[in-house]
Amino acid sequence: MKIEFTLNNKPETVDTDPMRRLLDVLRDDFGLSGVKEGCGEGECGACSVLVNGEIVFSCITPVGTVEGCTILTIEGYRKTDRYRTLEKALEEAGGVQCGFCTPGFVLAAEALLRRNPHPSEDEIREGLSGNLCRCTGYSGIVEGIRAVAEREGLWAT
Amino acid sequence: MAVIGPAAISRPVPRPDVPEKIGGSVPYIGDIRFPGMLYARTLRSSVPRARIAAIEIPSMPEGYFVVDKHDVPGKNGVHMLTDEQPFFAEDKVNYVGEPILLVAGPDREEIDRILKKIRVEYEEVPPVFCEEDSGNPDVPPLFGKHDLFCEYEIKRGTVEAEFEKAALIFEDEYRTGAQEHVYIEPQGMAGVFDGERVTVYGSMQCPYYVKTALVQGLGWEEDMIRVVQTTTGGAFGGKEEYPSLIAGHVAFAAIKTGRPVLLVFDRAEDVYSTTKRHPSRIRIRTTVDGNGAITAMDIDVALDGGAYVGLSPVVLQRAMFAATGVYRIPCVRVKGRVFATNSVPAGAFRGFGAPQAFFAVEMHMHSLAEKLKKDPLEFKRSYMLGRGDPTVTDGKIKETVPLPRMLDRLCALSGYDSKSRTFKKEGSSRGIGVSLFFHGCAFTGSGEKDKIKAKVLLKKQGDGSVSILVSSVEMGQGAQTTLRKIVAQTLGFDIGRVRYENPDTDRVPDSGPTVASRTVMIVGGLLARAAGRLKERMDETGEVEIEERYVQPPHIEWDQETFRGDAYPVYSWGANAVEVEVDPVTFEVSVTGVWGVYDVGTPIDERIVGGQIEGGISQGLGYATVEVLQQQKGRLLQKNLTDYIIPSSKEFPDPVYELYSSPYEYGPFGAKCAGELPFVGVAPALAAAVQNATGRPVRRLPVSPEYLFEAANDED
Amino acid sequence: MGNMTDAYRPGSLEEAYRVRARTGAVPLAGGTDLMVRHRRPAGLVPDPGCPVLLIGHLESLARVEEGPDAVRIGACATYTSLLKHESVPEILKRCIGLLASPPIRNRGTLGGNICNSSPAGDTLPVLYALDCSLVLASTRGERVLPIDRFITGPGKNTLADDEIVKEIVVPKNSFSSQYYRKVGTRRANALSKISFAGLFSKESGRVRDIRIAIGAVAPTIVRSREIEGSLKGMPIAMLKKTAGAVAARYKPLIRPISDQRSTERYREGVSLRLLEQYLTTGIEQEE
Repeated sequence: MKIEFTLNNKPETVDTDPMRRLLDVLRDDFGLSGVKEGCGEGECGACSVLVNGEIVFSCITPVGTVEGCTILTIEGYRKTDRYRTLEKALEEAGGVQCGFCTPGFVLAAEALLRRNPHPSEDEIREGLSGNLCRCTGYSGIVEGIRAVAEREGLWAT
Repeated sequence: MAVIGPAAISRPVPRPDVPEKIGGSVPYIGDIRFPGMLYARTLRSSVPRARIAAIEIPSMPEGYFVVDKHDVPGKNGVHMLTDEQPFFAEDKVNYVGEPILLVAGPDREEIDRILKKIRVEYEEVPPVFCEEDSGNPDVPPLFGKHDLFCEYEIKRGTVEAEFEKAALIFEDEYRTGAQEHVYIEPQGMAGVFDGERVTVYGSMQCPYYVKTALVQGLGWEEDMIRVVQTTTGGAFGGKEEYPSLIAGHVAFAAIKTGRPVLLVFDRAEDVYSTTKRHPSRIRIRTTVDGNGAITAMDIDVALDGGAYVGLSPVVLQRAMFAATGVYRIPCVRVKGRVFATNSVPAGAFRGFGAPQAFFAVEMHMHSLAEKLKKDPLEFKRSYMLGRGDPTVTDGKIKETVPLPRMLDRLCALSGYDSKSRTFKKEGSSRGIGVSLFFHGCAFTGSGEKDKIKAKVLLKKQGDGSVSILVSSVEMGQGAQTTLRKIVAQTLGFDIGRVRYENPDTDRVPDSGPTVASRTVMIVGGLLARAAGRLKERMDETGEVEIEERYVQPPHIEWDQETFRGDAYPVYSWGANAVEVEVDPVTFEVSVTGVWGVYDVGTPIDERIVGGQIEGGISQGLGYATVEVLQQQKGRLLQKNLTDYIIPSSKEFPDPVYELYSSPYEYGPFGAKCAGELPFVGVAPALAAAVQNATGRPVRRLPVSPEYLFEAANDED
Repeated sequence: MGNMTDAYRPGSLEEAYRVRARTGAVPLAGGTDLMVRHRRPAGLVPDPGCPVLLIGHLESLARVEEGPDAVRIGACATYTSLLKHESVPEILKRCIGLLASPPIRNRGTLGGNICNSSPAGDTLPVLYALDCSLVLASTRGERVLPIDRFITGPGKNTLADDEIVKEIVVPKNSFSSQYYRKVGTRRANALSKISFAGLFSKESGRVRDIRIAIGAVAPTIVRSREIEGSLKGMPIAMLKKTAGAVAARYKPLIRPISDQRSTERYREGVSLRLLEQYLTTGIEQEE
């Protein structure tokens, strides 16, 4: 099946089994290795990408369901000013240890902040609740996003 | 990057490994594609114990291979403490998930089809599932005559005499469950054979453990084998011994196929077939005299080791050396054993036997205090070890123990005293509990001196940069930052001038495994000494190489035969408070506060130590509450991340913590150990809080709602 | 490459009905259940064992329309979109808010949860308590079925091979209190060990209407119109006093199992405790 979508700001077409996992299409067909497989069952969030601005698990998304959608992976996002702000804040807050979960959390943060530029701590934790981290206990990640949320800036509407 | 001032080693610096991690650009093993690479998947035993009667393998399409016991050029035994665990099952299997063979080939769908066609004929044998199964005449022993991997006893004084004259004997039994590491990056390795040498790449903690295992598995000379660590997405002990097994798999496969072979685990496969924390059953009998003073403790430690020896003897030793906790007990006997069962082998996991022991002794002291109508905290305080006191192995505490002041700080931070009173008065479902604990730094006993014999190299390059050459790995814990800081600070220059790459055994000496919280204290200590020597020679042109080897500090006296003396060179100390609310209807435990005070000597980077504390607490609270891992007839009930629950971002509040620093003379800049300590104490503090909240003893981890429900109903 | 899945992406609802009738292809909206149930190791295509009909993109299945008597929720409206819609009842929003995690809610749908028909399906107790009906549509037309006649057992329902769940019809009603409680395996992103929905309305100090539905404690959702009916008209004070006895009447209906998440005894004991708590304090809990 031919499936068209915008990937990291570029229009793309794939002709493939529509039941293939979006994760495999992104990693194997497009070489986007920043999208990780941590569990393959929609539990850990290492595979998170933005589809039409919403955070989804690419490991349980059939590629056939993203026809006409806009997809953003960490590779596309890391070129933005918003990324650089989050990167600095997460680093300073000690929110990165082994790094495997981190791109997923970055995209979850983007999805949260674009909806809610000044989330409370509860709202931050809720927004991240689909991402698992085993190294940090979440403290550094939440703190980094809170630091970004408290400032005026790139997400202000 | 910041220049580190002379007294500022603890000040956080940006971590050099972080930018490429956040942006997803650093490759982990699953992201690497070798030209001409084959994928591999493992066929595993589906029964807990059987003789393999036959294996029916279909005819293999061109380019697809089966790799099994016949393809092990050397010894089919993974070298750890012993060699009895085979790389591939010989003629029997001993646990569900035991590897039997690999199928390797270019297309994963085809590999899947082939795997489904392979038929293994099992002749099942009655399995051993618990300690009680041994001695059952219908169940052939799994290991030795009595299914015991190891058995030890240590004593000081004569407990029997104390039992004769005791005014009170208080006895109880404590159990802890298995736990899975859930490093977010699953296990993975790749093997490459160039016709002469084999190179194994992968996610690991111990490149030289892997290399040693390959030397034996291949039967080759050491210089024909190269091991390279790839960026590792979490480990926690789960990648300490296990990778040696799969390193063999990919090495044998690369040789047989003539192509690079990549083996990355599926998560469910990782959950059900890789090593787990040892479940424990610990019985403590304490004698008390007419004045209400403890006169002796008789402790029995039993750990379930699963199907193979692995590191069980060392886990047991650490558990036994922690059996009396932070307390000064006049007369002690500790008996310990690890029994064999037909379940997935138990292995290293942050804490390594100490968490089990501290749970038992902390709950015991708490309950004993209640029995004696004393305040648990005051009771514990009165027994705390101090400088000069004997340890359980009859060594001596050589340093000032800061626990009393740490406990004061903890109580101030947490509001323990007033909360305790309020919660008790309320008759509420809220409770606050405290735990006291230590972690013995680095290898137990004479391990550093006799087994590891760590060696580091520090090389000044022609361009003025300095390279750290050690086998320690960065696995998230910050080694790439802390070791660089130690060298940079000693040499007095910018951390940016210090190079440290993922270890490659072709380039780095064996500075020992990245385990036992030894990396900063031992390896960092050697690097500090090397840097001190290099400093004298920085003006020399060209390359300068400094080698530094481990020398045991003079104050350590240890007899490995009798387990007597100083089990550890030094201890890091900790105190935790946890506040909970137990739902009176559903028995769900909500954690409403967590506090910790830790003495890790001089922190080499406060933010990195803070990260270890925050992560260790989260894992420890998970161990205490949601991480239920149960076995039924050798099969894990929780086999994937949907069913094996680790804490989410909404689980627990941020911990509040402080560092209390008593520097250690033989640690770099005074550093002690930090990685495991924060895990060890938090589960007992939570359990104590629940015990206070419910008024019923908590004797089990995890403290699940189901456990509390049963306990409440038993009472009725 | 493996065999290509037979998958269809119809351009309209009518085309969807035709393809379903012709092929029996299983409808897939978000796929958050199907892709987990049929998952295979890395790099391999999940295999439901039959053709697949992609319907998540059909706008006519994603609408929420409020009429005078009922709210009609499109079976393929994502959970996230339902959270934003003012016509969706509060109790359903509360339930969805506790369901799985944001990435799942961004793709998952009521249609999927209903057709999965799991005894532990998060939304089911709420849909039962709300007396929802389902519009089942095919080339043969539409039929409407109350949800408790649709789900017949664990993973089993009466969807015909040519039918698609089109809409969930939620009768409009006013309640003095709406109560939802989930006992999950952790605080977020959790499967239910027990889930509980209660709707209550009162008049002159007496029970006017009461609905109780309990999930994950029996092969299907537990609800008893007989017991509920016997409580109508009862003075509220008496309901609270006899809460234990009322709860005990549910005991024979609660037939849980022990599994990897919880035990039979816990599910039975705690669901009855939750029920008793609901009848004493939950019915008058302010929003």
